[in-house]
Amino acid sequence: MAETSDIAISMLMVGASLSMLLMGLLISYYGSSKTRNVGLIFLIVGAALIYYVTTMAYDTVVFMNSILAFVGGMIGGIVGIIIFLIAIIKS
Amino acid sequence: MDMSTDFSNEMLMDYFVSMFVVGVGVALIATGLFTSYFGAGKSQKIGFGLLFLGIAIIAFFMVGYPLEEDTLIEALVSGLAALAGMILGMFIILFVLMKVDTVDDLEDLDLEDLEDLDLDEELKKLEKELNAESNDSAEEEE
Repeated sequence: MAETSDIAISMLMVGASLSMLLMGLLISYYGSSKTRNVGLIFLIVGAALIYYVTTMAYDTVVFMNSILAFVGGMIGGIVGIIIFLIAIIKS
Repeated sequence: MDMSTDFSNEMLMDYFVSMFVVGVGVALIATGLFTSYFGAGKSQKIGFGLLFLGIAIIAFFMVGYPLEEDTLIEALVSGLAALAGMILGMFIILFVLMKVDTVDDLEDLDLEDLEDLDLDEELKKLEKELNAESNDSAEEEE
């Protein structure tokens, strides 16, 4: 059974790597010649973080559960905002 | 790490669905609070409705949803930690982008030319040109 601190640290790294990968992709595609290099660096850092999280000694089942919980919370938040928008638009 | 995606129903119900319900509830409470405070008339009523719906969902989750305390803590910690990680990543990105010189055209701009400019002389030249143009147009009218 993994410790709560293991879950928190690994998911912190997953979140940071996700934002770095997505923003790095955007910046390296749409950025100017100078920001493009920064975007590529973000992509490399994000990929390295993901690689580190997936290779570190850690309970696989707990990690996948944590990912499921994170995805569920994100989708739930999006659905909540969609419900709010529908209620406002339909009124 | 074995990244197999063979999820059991128990895992889905314990982690995905529970956090989905919490996410919907929190989003409804947040948007309901916002709309009921800043809204007026009909939209304020909708805000109160959303707020009570959100509170009802969270209350159902706390009272009626079959979930062990350890599982709930794990799920909440993972969701919050991932959110905090995303915010941290965005801060790092913004910090680095603000520190990096992002304008391409600054190299082409010759700042020495701007320093040598005498603004008074330029103003006098412009005034002379304008006066000459107005004189020409007055002669043409005559």
